[in-house]
Parts: sequence; structure tokens; C-alpha cells
Amino acid sequence: MNDTNPRRLTIARAMAEAVQQEMQQDPKVFVMGEDIGALGGVFGNTRGLLEEFGGERIRDTPISETAFIGAGVGAAQDGMRPIVELMFVDFFGVCFDAIYNNMAKNNYFSGGNVKVPMVIMTSTGGGYSDGGQHSQCLYGIFAHLPGMKVVAPSNAYDAKGLMTAAIRDDSPVIFMYHKGLQGMGWLGTEAGATVDTPKASYEIEIGKAKVVREGTDVTIVGLAMGVHNGLRAADQLAARGISAEVIDLRSLVPLDRDTVINSVRKTGRLIVVDEDYQSYGVSGEIITSVVEHDYSILRAAPKRVAYPDVPIPFARPMEQFCLPNAEKIVAAYDAM
Amino acid sequence: MDIRISDDVLADDAEAVITVWFVNSGEQIVKGALMVEIMAAKVQYEMAAPASGVLNIVAGVDAVIRKGDIIGCIVVG
Repeated sequence: MNDTNPRRLTIARAMAEAVQQEMQQDPKVFVMGEDIGALGGVFGNTRGLLEEFGGERIRDTPISETAFIGAGVGAAQDGMRPIVELMFVDFFGVCFDAIYNNMAKNNYFSGGNVKVPMVIMTSTGGGYSDGGQHSQCLYGIFAHLPGMKVVAPSNAYDAKGLMTAAIRDDSPVIFMYHKGLQGMGWLGTEAGATVDTPKASYEIEIGKAKVVREGTDVTIVGLAMGVHNGLRAADQLAARGISAEVIDLRSLVPLDRDTVINSVRKTGRLIVVDEDYQSYGVSGEIITSVVEHDYSILRAAPKRVAYPDVPIPFARPMEQFCLPNAEKIVAAYDAM
Repeated sequence: MDIRISDDVLADDAEAVITVWFVNSGEQIVKGALMVEIMAAKVQYEMAAPASGVLNIVAGVDAVIRKGDIIGCIVVG
């Protein structure tokens, strides 16, 4: 590719490019997972890697998450830097002992003597009628358990920088990418996720949120798909003369509470958008972060636009009814 | 220069969908640069720019296309 060409990338390509560049300069980096080789990943995020690096470093696995995520933990503790794909986050159940009892804790159990520099990349989100075991976000489950960093980008630029940072990080990192942002037609297409992305390698610091739109009347906090819904809601509110600030969390662990608090101090109103289930989750944590800090900065009770506490329906009208969207965010503002 | 879905990409009766244009209509593109992705039966195919010039998109994202269809053109010069 010509470096001078305008260059937009999908998140899928941005992830693959970050992995490619790290593999080129660090022989310890390798990738394991289901269909990540010849197919290039069901969600396109490992395309081209098998051709460049071969089957020793781009390892297709059987459908056996328990085995290959456990193998990833062992490899990381032995000095490698594995990137392991859990194709759908929904299937974390079979491999969670390796994730949260081994990967997340062994650094602590060993008194800091053993590092586990491993990345798990896993797809989240629905909206394309794939049923309740292929459509969840489960951000809250991973963010709740200590010992792992958790990131969830909303666009290709952030995805590349966060992936590069995740691979170089000595802590285990869960890289949660939303299927609806991947630029894959059959999963729905969010055009705002495909953005200009530098070819040269760069990092985005894990744990830093970003104000993606400045405003003065209400703060809308989201991550991944929620950011795009928040931006659409901000457009609708702007048409009515209401100025919304939109924050992209980008990371859940560490959580950039300061950016949220500073925004709410300015706007006095807070809406949290979360495609994960509402109760016991991210939206409650964000609101608590503000209230614990100083409840007097709020001029209205905070609102959340999250997924209802029901298993995700297969039927399209029912699933779409449940999903957060811009109209629900605007309605939340109107109810404040 | 027309941008046409070439014979080697799709089977005779296959339908595909445009998933991503990497360059906007009216922007410059360089010959050989990644230009567009299309998807058929959950498999993605990429097409590079056949010439340098200004891109004019005819079939936008989510448009259904078949072999031989013209999806855009590049104004050379």
C-alpha cells in the first residue's frame, strides 16, 4: 500500500495490523484460536497473518477453549507473549478457570515472580439476531474480577493503539471488540468505526478515556457501540439546542474516573450507555464513581441506558427492542 | 475508468454486498491501494484501485452487487 494514500481502516484490519507489527519485531508474540489461521478470523481480525508468519506462530486450534487458553497462560508464564482469541465472549464459561484463577492471579500468587503477559481478544455484542449465546457484551464480568486489564475500542484508530499497548503490557489484557464495529457486512455496519489510522506503530495508553465530543449540558458516557449511539443522540439533542458531551471510556480496567467526574462537574447531568446487562454492571460503576466523589455536582439523578436484565432474544424485533439506541438516550435526557 | 466486479471474484449467480469503502467519493486514490471490501456468503474480498485518480462511488455500503456490476469509477488525470 502507498503510504501517502488516505487510509481508513476497519477495526478488524487495525487489530490485524497491530498484531502484525508486533510480531515483526518480537518473536515471542504468537496467536492462537479457532479459525484464526486460513480463514483470518471469523471477524476478520487476523487476516493475512498466516501467510506472513506461518502455522508455528499463527496457530489454529480445535474448539477447546479450556485447553488453548490454559496453554496460553502456560506459554505466557514461560516467557512468550501469546494473543489468544475467545471467538465469542459468551463462551467464557468453559475456560474461565484458566482466565480468572490462573491468568489474572498467578502474578499475585507468585509474589510478583511470574508474569502473565497475555492478550485475550474476544468478540462482544449483538444486533444481528444471533441469539443469546452469541450476542452478549459481558463487560461487567471481566471488569469486576481483579488482575486483568480490560479494553473495548469504538474505532479503528483506538483499536490499533490499544492492541499494540496490550501486546506490550506485562499484565494480562482482555481486548473486547464489538462485532457491529468490525466492518463485516453481515454483522451490521457502523460507519463511524472505520476511521483514519496511521500505518506506523503507536500505543494508546490503557486506562485513558477520551472526550469525543465536547458539550455543556449533559455528559453521555459509553464504550464501543455505545459511543456511536451517544454521538447520534448528541446530534439529535444539538438540533434542539442541547449541548451533549460524549465520553468514550476505551478502557474499563483501569477506569478513567477523573475524565468522567470532570465532565459531570461541568454539565451536572450524567447518562451512561452500556450494551451489557443493566444490573450489577458498568453503568452502576460509572454512576457510583461520580456520586462517591461528590454527589453535589449532579443537578439531576443520573440515568442509564443499558441492556434489560433478560437473556438476549433471537427474534429481530425483540432484540432490537432491547438494545440501547440514540432515541433511548434522548428519552433519558428528557426524563432528567 | 470503471470499477467492475471482475469474473474471478464471484460465482455466476452469487450476490455480494459492499461492506467498506476505504476512500470517500471525491477523494484521491492511488493505483494499488486498498479501495473496497465486498462480502459474499460471509467471506470478504478486497479490491485494490485499478488506477490513480479521483474516486466516484456508484454502489455505496450495503448495496447488493453481482459479477460484472460497475460499483464506481476513477477519474484519471
